[in-house]
Amino acid sequence: MNKRILGALATVVIGAGVIAGIGTYVAAAKNDSSVLVATPAGTLDTPQGNLPHATLAISVYPDSSAGTHGKDGGAHPGYVTYGPSTNFEVPAHSVITITVTNYDSGESLNNDYFAHVRGTIDGSAQLNGERMTSISSDAVGHTFTIHGLAVGQDELFVSVPMKAVAEENIPETGFTSKPNITSFTFITGSAGEYVWNCEYPCGDGTIAKFGAAMSTMGYMSGHFTVKG
Amino acid sequence: MSNHLIPKTPQWWKKPDIKKTAILWAICTLVIGFVGVEFHVRNMVRPASETMSGVISLMRIFTWAAAPVAGLVGAMCLTALTTKRHYGDNPPPDADHEIANSPRAVGLWIVVSSFLCLFALIAGFIVIQKDSAELLSSDAIQLNVTGQQWVWTIDYPNGARSQDLYLPVNKPVVFHVTSVDVKHSFWIVQMGVKIDANPGYTTETAVTPNKIGVFDLRCAELCGLLHAYMQTKVHVVSQADYDAWLNNHAAIEKGA
Repeated sequence: MNKRILGALATVVIGAGVIAGIGTYVAAAKNDSSVLVATPAGTLDTPQGNLPHATLAISVYPDSSAGTHGKDGGAHPGYVTYGPSTNFEVPAHSVITITVTNYDSGESLNNDYFAHVRGTIDGSAQLNGERMTSISSDAVGHTFTIHGLAVGQDELFVSVPMKAVAEENIPETGFTSKPNITSFTFITGSAGEYVWNCEYPCGDGTIAKFGAAMSTMGYMSGHFTVKG
Repeated sequence: MSNHLIPKTPQWWKKPDIKKTAILWAICTLVIGFVGVEFHVRNMVRPASETMSGVISLMRIFTWAAAPVAGLVGAMCLTALTTKRHYGDNPPPDADHEIANSPRAVGLWIVVSSFLCLFALIAGFIVIQKDSAELLSSDAIQLNVTGQQWVWTIDYPNGARSQDLYLPVNKPVVFHVTSVDVKHSFWIVQMGVKIDANPGYTTETAVTPNKIGVFDLRCAELCGLLHAYMQTKVHVVSQADYDAWLNNHAAIEKGA
């Protein structure tokens, strides 16, 4: 075979190999590859009728020693994190209840839009067993905000603020014994790939505290899959 | 010595290379113009405002204006490759043509390029000027838009708020755009509206949507981890539907 053709083929093969290697490295470098699948919980009456019900139970920790990062906190033990996973899978055309136990403190939101409960059934959530539609923007610990691509899939926007644990209840070591528990329910549409992230500026390193944990997948952000 | 014994050099435009280049130039211009307009411009989004229609028309005009330039370059390349190819180890003999070091040719090229640039500048200003007129409209709806990693929030004059954008059809809207963290860019794809969202500053842009439907609002500035997901929908509805939505959302916001 002509040397030139062999050379061209070798270039293509080596190029494809390099691209595949980079892709494999990037995929393996994900901070959180686990997926938490919602637990089926019968059916529930909703404004859209009786729908299959599924639940997720997650927590927010002030550091990464809990959850998927392990007891030593993984690569960034000082990062605040959601857990036990940051990737979630829920069924399509179902009613989903997410319960978030927040062990972290907080300060002020830089946009009080996210102090309000949005996108849930009747626009409310349960905070420590009490109905709430918003909390003071200077008492927010974190938010759980789901959003996604604008084209090719149903719109899904859910944003719920998590009340911060009072500073006096944060112990020197370990987690508070008085976490704030927020529960909210929403309805999914057709199958789609979404993301979620925290809108409280709880990272460091860049403007408005959106660096570090806020800019690293697997801590305060992740994937939210609606499976058909 | 009589003049008739000297071989007569044909005038430059009668040379075979020039004729060939001229024919190729015409063909290349038509092909590039047609492909550029029909495949590129036609694949752009369907316009939902006069602004976007203006942008598409401008793209069409610019493509045809640029086609002769690209066509000439292509034609000269084809002529050189097909008739001026030189084989062998020795360099080719010096080219014999009149255009080398010709002040007339250089001057012509500068003048043509200048006119093309001036044309592009003036045509662009005309489209921008049309957009600016909407900013001054006294009956325009004034909306505050806030970009944040990685969601847009819209504040309406009556207190309603949303993360997707609702607009009435055929009514001018002015967007006051800012950011609370890093730089974003507010881009309504089908309406041809795009402006930076800078922390600490407010920028303004305006548009009059002229089609009812659902369109796309995206961030056009790489802004971090989930930049690709910083997009939402734009709902253009009738004035009655807009008023109903606005009042409903204002009531929800007050009750929250």
